[in-house]
Order: sequence, then C-alpha cells, then structure tokens
Amino acid sequence: MTDATLSQGHAGPGFGERLADALLSGRGIWPAVPAILVLMIVAVIPFAILLSLGFSDIQISRGDIVSQTFSLTHLANALSDPLYWITFQRSLSLALTTTALCILFGYPVAYLFLTGGTWTKRLILILTIAPLLTSGIVRTYAWLVILGGRGVVNQTLMGLGLIDQPLRIMNTHWAVLIGMVQIHLPVMILPLIAVMSRHDRQVVEAAENLGASRLGTLRTVILPLSVPGIGTGAALVFTLSYTTFVVPQLLGGGNYLNAATMIYEQVVFSLEWSKGSVTSLLLMVTCLMVLVAIALVTNHFTRWTKGRVG
Amino acid sequence: MKAFRKTSLGDALGIGLIFAVAIFSLVLLVAPSIIVVIISFDTRAYVSFPPEGFTVKWYAEVFKQGELVEAMLNSLQVGITVTLLCILLGVPTALACVRGRFRGTTALSLFVLVPHMVPGIVLGVAVLFAGALVGVSPSIWLQSISITVFILAVMVRTVQSRLMRLDASLEEAAANLRATPFNSLRTVTFPLLLPAILAGAVFTFVEGFDNLSVAIFTHGFRDRPLPVELLSLVQFTSSPLVAAVSGVQIVLAIVALVLVSMSIGLDNVNE
Repeated sequence: MTDATLSQGHAGPGFGERLADALLSGRGIWPAVPAILVLMIVAVIPFAILLSLGFSDIQISRGDIVSQTFSLTHLANALSDPLYWITFQRSLSLALTTTALCILFGYPVAYLFLTGGTWTKRLILILTIAPLLTSGIVRTYAWLVILGGRGVVNQTLMGLGLIDQPLRIMNTHWAVLIGMVQIHLPVMILPLIAVMSRHDRQVVEAAENLGASRLGTLRTVILPLSVPGIGTGAALVFTLSYTTFVVPQLLGGGNYLNAATMIYEQVVFSLEWSKGSVTSLLLMVTCLMVLVAIALVTNHFTRWTKGRVG
Repeated sequence: MKAFRKTSLGDALGIGLIFAVAIFSLVLLVAPSIIVVIISFDTRAYVSFPPEGFTVKWYAEVFKQGELVEAMLNSLQVGITVTLLCILLGVPTALACVRGRFRGTTALSLFVLVPHMVPGIVLGVAVLFAGALVGVSPSIWLQSISITVFILAVMVRTVQSRLMRLDASLEEAAANLRATPFNSLRTVTFPLLLPAILAGAVFTFVEGFDNLSVAIFTHGFRDRPLPVELLSLVQFTSSPLVAAVSGVQIVLAIVALVLVSMSIGLDNVNE
C-alpha cells in the first residue's frame, strides 16, 4: 500500500494544514518570521528613528516633520547642561545604592532558601513571586500609606512617645530609596535562588563534614558559587531602578527628578522631541555601560572561583 | 558526620544575624501589601493607620467611578490582546529556536531578548516618535503591540526552556508513525507545552494589565489604561479609594500566582 492510497481514506489535508506542514518540515526559520517582522517594525525601526531624532534638527508643523538635518547640537546641549549631569548622577547613585542594598537584603533570603526545608522554600517562593505579579503602582502606593504624615511609621513612633510631630519622610530621598529597595528586592532574590538550587547540596555538606563552620562554608563555598546569580540579579535590579519612573514620581513628590522622570517631562509635557530622544539615548547608553561593568566584575569573580573550586 | 563541625559562638551569631535579616526581608516583601488591604476597609475618608472601623464602601465606590471601571476594562483588553499576540508570535518562535536546524538559532533567541533588555520607557518613547512619523497616533492598539514586543521574550523563554527539556524522540516517534509535522505538533508537542504556555500567558497578561513604562507613552488619550489612571489618582486623591483598587489588583495577583504554581510550578519561574 502506498502513501497515496493511505491518504485517500481520509479527507485530504486542507490548504492550511499543508501550508503548516511545509513551514514546519524543513525545521527552518519560518515559524519565527511573524515575530521577527513585528520586532523589526515595533522595536528595531523605532530605535533607529529615535537615534536619528537625537542627532538631527527637526522642524515640526501640525505633528509632521517638515525638515530634518543632521546636527550634534542636542547632544552637545545636553552634555553641557549641568541639570543633565546632576540628574544622571542622582539616577546612577540611587540605582547603584538600590542594587547594593538589594544584594544585602536579598542574599540572606537566598541562604535561608538553601538551608531551609520544603515549606520554607515554598513560602519564600510565594513571598518572592507574588509581588512580581502585583502592579508597581500598588506596591509604591503602599509606601505612601506607610511613610506618610499620618502613616504607619509616624503613628507608631508618636504612639510610643518617641516623637511629638510627624517626621517628614515622604517626598525625600529616603522615601524613594526605601521604596526602590523593597520594590526591586524580588528581582534580586529570584536569580539568587535559581543559582543556589542549581548547585548540589552535597558540596555544602562536604565542606561541613570537613569541619568548616557554617559561616566558613558560606564564605568559601556558597558565596563564590553564587556569584553568577548575584551578577544576574544586580543587572536586573540596576536596569529597573535606573530607569524607573513610578517610584521617584510618587514617593519623591513630583519634584524628584531622575533620568526617567526627565524623559517623561520632555516628551509628554514640553513636547521636545530631540531633547527627549537624546535623554533616552543617554539613559540607554549609560545603562548599558553599567551592565557591561557588572558583567565584567561577575566574570572576573566567576573565573576566580573556577580556578579555586573547579 | 556532623560531629566534626565546629560550632563557635561567633558562627552561631553570624548565622543568626543572616537569618534575622532574611526574615526581615521576607516581612518587608509582603507587609506593605497587607497594610494596603487593611486600609482599604477603613471607614475614614483619609488614609491613616490603624483603621478605625470596617466598611466595604470603598470597593463599592471603585465600581461606581466610571473612569476607573473604563480604565480597568481598557487594561483588561490590553492584557488579553498582549497575551494572545504573545502566544501567536512567541510559541512558533520558541519552536524555531529549539527545534530549528538553521544557522542562527542562538542569534534568533538573542534578537527576541533585545526589546526586553531595553528600558521600557525608552521603547515607549521610540514607538511614540516612530508612530508619529508615519501617522500612527497613540491608541489602545499601539499600546498593546508595544507591550507585546516588550514582553514577548518572557513567553519565548518560558516555552523554550520547557521545549528543551522535552524529549525530541517523542516527536520522532510521531514522525515514524507517519504523522505530518503539523499533526505531530498538534497532537504530541503542543499538549506537552501547554503548562509553559499557560505560565507565559499569566506573565504576559499581568504585564499587559499593569505595564506603565511603555503604556504611558503609547496609550490612547481617550482610553487610558488602569496604571495611567491610577498614577494620577494616587497623586491627587488621599481617600482609601486607591487602596480598594489595590485590593482588587492584589486579588488578581493571587489568582495569577495560583495559576503559575498549577501550571509550571513556582520553582520553574526562574527558567
């Protein structure tokens, strides 16, 4: 019996099915083509346009660009504007501090995950993943409730008689920093947990059986092995906190300018396209530079571990 | 074998300190959300703690505010659109990345990641400007497609990691039994991929519903999504109304969490 007689038994496959077969059979790139096209149109080309807008003088009339000529004026203006330097410096130091604090507060959670039993592990996963599924605005709003004039912190301190008048925490650098750390903490914890659960627990047990104290095992075995996780987490937390807009806007009281709020004001309120493009490009480039630095540091320490352990 | 372990006072103190910080961090992760939920039932018209009474009037109020309900419906539409687009574009892409036999499968996986690595705010600005150049003004559709591009990587990665762990010999067996490529995909591979697709759907839906960084530049001025509406509401109102909206969103998040743990399990969220 040949294939032809076999398929006569069924109704022949429809055009759609034959097309699908043709696209799948060569195991070629075809299934990915729609996604590639969409990414080109909605991401790659827009980025190219953003780049071109940042490096040109444009004249807009009725929402259309009338003329566009190459120019470095906007970049030069931005780089000679002290406001830019202050803003980017502030964003950078805020994001780096946030990243450092997230490592400091996140690492112990990952250690608890490593040493804990099934239920501890499950609880940590729930507490870490749940915030990621909650809106960023909701989580920021919570800090308004906690740090506000009549908020939890002030009411508690006044109730204890430690202060007479509400402390002004909201709309300060501290409010922004506290919110940043809490909101980005899960993003740090998850990669740490991932790298911890990848390594064999027997490595830890071996170290302890050889007489290492628990702190010693942490320092000489667990910490070096988890460097890649710290790197991934740091890169994620840095990117998010460097480019976030919600936290500074809400907890900084609208006058806390970081790079992201600056872009928002230039694009949405003052409609300065070239300025907005330049600021966006600067944000992207500086962010990339820090990410490369984080990757280099991570690699350096990973290689160092491999030399010693592996 | 634990007899060999040195247990000094310093060691115990150090480990104790680490556990203390860990517990503090875990409390820090949930406490704010719990406080918001408590506030949302307060009887007073301003936000303060501890609450003085119990009422559900703020929840009723949420659904009486036409703008809020409309914003929720808009975000629901964006969430569903983003999810569907991510499934349609992402699942085939994951297939091509893992099962493809062409040069550049790695390059393809990296290419899909690019929009996700770029700050959302920069993607939003870029799409807004590019759209303006070709005469596409911000709308609920522009917002949906932009968020799709931003979050597509998550769907691809989730399906990809599941696909890599699937035994390719199952598909070969189907092929040996003379199943056409499409049939083996439909009857063998696809059902095995469903949990990953469901988990990816949850994450992309949440992003479509909650995303602000991309949405703030690309949403239509007449159909504001919930995050944009909430942003102005938080800045200009002080009643527990926002807490009630947050309460609703926290319930949604819990539903999402349950769905994820039922589909791929919480341990696999990292992959």
